[in-house]
Amino acid sequence: MAGPKIACIGVIGKADNPLHISLFPPYSDSTIEFSFLLNSCLDIFDIRCKQTSIDQDLGLLHAIDERLAAYGWLTTTGVKLLIIVDLFGQEEASAGKQAGAAINGLRDSDVKPAFRALQSAYIQLLQNPFYSPDDHVPIPGNTASSLSACQPISNKKFVADVKRIGESWAPGTSL
Amino acid sequence: MSSTKTSRIGEEIWKTRVDKVNAELVTLTYGTIVAQLCQDYDSNYQDVNKQLDKMGYNIGMRLIEEFLAKSGVGRCANFRETADMIAKVGFKIFLNVTPTVTNWTSDNTQFSLIFEDNPLADFVELPDDGRAQDELWFSNILCGVLRGSLEMVSY
Repeated sequence: MAGPKIACIGVIGKADNPLHISLFPPYSDSTIEFSFLLNSCLDIFDIRCKQTSIDQDLGLLHAIDERLAAYGWLTTTGVKLLIIVDLFGQEEASAGKQAGAAINGLRDSDVKPAFRALQSAYIQLLQNPFYSPDDHVPIPGNTASSLSACQPISNKKFVADVKRIGESWAPGTSL
Repeated sequence: MSSTKTSRIGEEIWKTRVDKVNAELVTLTYGTIVAQLCQDYDSNYQDVNKQLDKMGYNIGMRLIEEFLAKSGVGRCANFRETADMIAKVGFKIFLNVTPTVTNWTSDNTQFSLIFEDNPLADFVELPDDGRAQDELWFSNILCGVLRGSLEMVSY
């Protein structure tokens, strides 16, 4: 059995600086492709923010092709959580082409638990006094040095949490 | 004084005579202090430990007055009673935890306090630099508090 699976989780800071990006098999090597996808999703965030006052849960941002769909979540502090779901899942992908018919859509509420779990992982990270959020914010002005100054999150527990969420999520499961 | 009576005193004072503050406020404040110290001392954890102990010592010297006033207990008859008092009244009323007293040496001059949960260290993950795990004593302030307060009652 194979259902939708998470292909990529991205945590993006307030200034659109990537804080953490996790890729999951079979996409583990498609770094460039996914940073491109995540970047394009950020534009959708911007557009939606302008349009209306929005909820934290942005739901489906953008169906990229018949396999991949991007979901977004925006916290009040401006941190963006992105999940790209692979609608076919891994096993069927390896099984070949007949997979197409199996899935007829994923509800927004299916992705919500994953976002909630991600958000609480992020909160736990922030509560750790040795994590300093300032290290991860680019300094306005000099772009070249500011980009090198904002490193991605290296906290092991957070990275492991994200990995766990990405690997164990499936529609209808609690995390 | 029996050990159950001691824990009853602790419970009683905790319930009726102590002002409570939000636990997260305490945890986050303490965490920030330690993180700031680490930064100020350039991650020289020996110095951080020393500083925490000093801060605790200063707290302990003052805290003992409040402890005596609130608990109204008299002088302990022996060291075992002291240990019980520290664990079941002292830690109970100020941190609402009761560490376990164990590892007594045969001559009754040394013991360990084991914390099953430590409110100061909730959420905390030590920095991942290969040294902090061994060298930084995150809750060393508690040792200082004990040192300060026991010194004031002439141990």
